[in-house]
Amino acid sequence: MNEEKRTIKTGFMDALPLAIAIGAYGLSYGVLATQANFSLVGIVAMSLLVFSGSLQMVTVGMLTAGGSLVSVLITSVLLNLRNLLYGAALAEGLAPAKKWRWLLSFGVSDESFVLGSSRFKEYGPDPLYFGIVVVTFYIAWIFSSLIGGLIGNQVDPQKWGLDLAFPITFVAILISDLTEKPAIATALTATILAIGLEYFMPGNEFTIIITGVLAPFVGLYLKRRSQKC
Amino acid sequence: MLNRWILIGLLSVSTYISRIIGVEIMAGREMNPTLRLYFNYVPVGVISALIIKQILVPVDRGLVISFPILIACLSTAIAVKKIKKFLPSVVFGAIIGFLTRYFFT
Repeated sequence: MNEEKRTIKTGFMDALPLAIAIGAYGLSYGVLATQANFSLVGIVAMSLLVFSGSLQMVTVGMLTAGGSLVSVLITSVLLNLRNLLYGAALAEGLAPAKKWRWLLSFGVSDESFVLGSSRFKEYGPDPLYFGIVVVTFYIAWIFSSLIGGLIGNQVDPQKWGLDLAFPITFVAILISDLTEKPAIATALTATILAIGLEYFMPGNEFTIIITGVLAPFVGLYLKRRSQKC
Repeated sequence: MLNRWILIGLLSVSTYISRIIGVEIMAGREMNPTLRLYFNYVPVGVISALIIKQILVPVDRGLVISFPILIACLSTAIAVKKIKKFLPSVVFGAIIGFLTRYFFT
């Protein structure tokens, strides 16, 4: 098997558990969007063009609750702030794609960031891998949105344990990354920060970006200190 | 109805801009070693936060721990440490979480 085929296979296999979770999420989105009086074309169009699970869920939730267009847009800006951080962290790994970066950037999200950054850390820049991951997620998201819109509320993702796929896949990736003390300290700091932020502001949209910005300083400090010793 | 289409259009543009800015600003630049080291730890911080947000479920302005998710995460962590294989560990964690939810909630 040549290198490209191996990368495609690895990307697809790595993406599969998360694609199942994305599918479950997409079903829920389709169902909720139907309840928010979106047409089937509108449901699928939003998934095709926006391709952001959390943002789309929040949007239909706010519209159902009577939120205005302006309030949805302001919320979307806040929700999208973390994409800046993800994009900056992924930039080096996507650099060889040159002008294709414009297309690959469309796939920057929580899940693709987790898999992409883990891959780049171990194997260096790999836009093909990232592309395969994004395409797998995109297909899962579009089709599950469509099915969710078609079947209404006849499927409960929780009942089938589909909601478990996200956190356990993240844990499997995280544990594999904790190979040195600075990384472990970063994870512990992030855990404490995230718990604190969620405790004082339950369900807020800033936990990820604040934790993602602050916790790495601990890892950076410890790594620098060990290099000096 | 027109408002819905305008909203979809605006959301797609604003989301894409947020995605491309980070990638393009850093693209083609020689990254400062300190910044590179910093970004090395960003995924660990972000993934940890994402996991916590899945375990702690906001309910009525308070927080509730989802024990099926917590136990599934712990089982997966132990499995990864013991068997050192990604997919079997994920499957193991999912089964444990599913059984926890089925029998104890």
